[in-house]
Amino acid sequence: MARFRLLPDEQHARSPLLLLWREFARQHSAMSGLVLFILFFLLAILSPLLTPHDPYMQNDTLLLIAPSWSEQGLVQYPFGTDDLGRDMFSRMLMGARYTFGIALITVVGALLIGLLLGVLAGMSKGVKSSVFNHVLDLALTIPSLLLAIIIVAILGPGLLNTLWAIMLALLPQFVHSIRNAIAEQLNQDYVTAYRLDGASNWQVLTRLILPNIWERLTVTATMALSTAILDIAALGFLGLGAQAPTAEWGAIIADSLDLIYVAPVGVALPGLLIFTAVLSVNLVGDGLRNAMKKRREN
Amino acid sequence: MTLYLLRRLFLLVFVFIALSILAFSLGYLFPGNTLQNFTGLTDISAELATQLTAEYRLDSGYIQQYIAYLQRIFSGDWGLSFASKQPLLQEIKILLPATLELAAYALLVSFFVGIPLGIIAAIKPEGIISRIISALAIAGYSIPVFWWALLLIMLFSLGLGWLPTAGRIGVLYEIPHVTGFMLADILLANSQHQTEALLNALRHTLLPTIVLATFPTTVMIRFTRDSMLDVWEQSYIKTARAKGLNRAQVLYRHALRNALLPVIRQIGLQFSTLITLAMITEVIFSWPGIGRWLIDSIYQRNYPAIQAGLLVISTLVISVNMLTEILHTLFNPLARKR
Repeated sequence: MARFRLLPDEQHARSPLLLLWREFARQHSAMSGLVLFILFFLLAILSPLLTPHDPYMQNDTLLLIAPSWSEQGLVQYPFGTDDLGRDMFSRMLMGARYTFGIALITVVGALLIGLLLGVLAGMSKGVKSSVFNHVLDLALTIPSLLLAIIIVAILGPGLLNTLWAIMLALLPQFVHSIRNAIAEQLNQDYVTAYRLDGASNWQVLTRLILPNIWERLTVTATMALSTAILDIAALGFLGLGAQAPTAEWGAIIADSLDLIYVAPVGVALPGLLIFTAVLSVNLVGDGLRNAMKKRREN
Repeated sequence: MTLYLLRRLFLLVFVFIALSILAFSLGYLFPGNTLQNFTGLTDISAELATQLTAEYRLDSGYIQQYIAYLQRIFSGDWGLSFASKQPLLQEIKILLPATLELAAYALLVSFFVGIPLGIIAAIKPEGIISRIISALAIAGYSIPVFWWALLLIMLFSLGLGWLPTAGRIGVLYEIPHVTGFMLADILLANSQHQTEALLNALRHTLLPTIVLATFPTTVMIRFTRDSMLDVWEQSYIKTARAKGLNRAQVLYRHALRNALLPVIRQIGLQFSTLITLAMITEVIFSWPGIGRWLIDSIYQRNYPAIQAGLLVISTLVISVNMLTEILHTLFNPLARKR
């Protein structure tokens, strides 16, 4: 006997967010990425409290100590010290704050500005929207490193200046994806129905569009975050971003490059950390994307 | 189609105008003397200054100055480099082919490695091979390019001593500059040591190409895989299967052609990232391309060079972008209708 049921089974009665989390938690790689991501996040916030030594204190009696797993190492300095006697372990921990933390701030900033511009572009029609598009096309074509070079040439090198450069380089992606997502939403029948009920543009935006696009925004943000970490590290490595004493991972690699035979840890470790940080972000982003796809299929 | 091309052309002109305005305004935005930034001359005497000011129309309004700037760009007078005192256009003509060569090899590798791997990964999405490919792809996607380059140099050049660390070719070989592409120049040079020179150049090219190709290859793998999985779900694939075609036939005749369409577009979108990575790769391998030159320019405060570099690299990226988009439309009738 056919029986009408509004909700086919208990599974589908859950909130979309919970369904998303279930699909996400089912993927081991995504979960391990999330754990790493949270670890880096906590490290970025708490690193000044965790460092066993001052990462900038130079100690000329303890130059170039080997890591503690070798015979010459000291247990107080797990990764040894660099050529100025600074504790490598503390510098690595501090690096999370610079490379990972600043990348996070950059992405949040680009996301907020991108949301504003994307909404303006998505909700407007006609010539205004077309001109906006073309300006975006131009901005998308300038490679991020070139943009950073120009900004550094105008303002001078420094971590803060590269932050602006990277934010500017990430912005077009955000605006593009937000604008497309909004255009897609505006075509939906429920938006038309809501409009017929007398909803204003603002109400359509806040009650319908934003709740429907924020998941896609998160995926875009994770992709942007991995680019931002790589860019900050690369600029630090080239000497355009974080300057010498700053314990930024890319800058540490550039610093230790001339000692690569004596102390390979100084190059290997920061690189591995950058790699792990970017990997965790990418795993989370991929996991989210997969989970969204699976939820739609069920 | 004609209308579409005209619209693209209009867009191209618009973008170039905006780009040249940006490049022009840099002459004012950069620190230092505007006249020096435009001409590239560092010590200008008083009478030369008045003469140049008149020639560059720096005494009139911004619009006249901009028009004068455009005229100089089109007539090939791009100013001098602060560092070498050579005309910038000449320097760029020598440097740009080196970058293009490296980027072209990396793109070729990404095609011939990335697309087949992506297809293999899509055949059995839950299988062990597919998982390994996906894991490699995400690792390659996450690795910082300068660290990856250092690792490979440590292993293959310093550890095993198989490959050279820097440059395009050994210093013993003298190859005349004809096309700027090293391998083509060697083939054109027609010397008695041609084979040795070719082998030497290939050994120099191998590591930078692998390093630069890593990112585009992983993008290709991921994109081809996702695109194949999408297409494989379509009803025309089921129809083709129901008509009795076997897997290979369906793959070749229906799936591949549709799945590779978005991949063409992806090349254009990834090109600006590729150039960024090429610049970093050039610095590490001392590859005499435009990226290393630009990064050197910033250490030397060589503002005219940065201005010219912006113009050239952005023009390159925009052209590639536009070309791939037009190709995509040409191959895809669905996109043509819109």
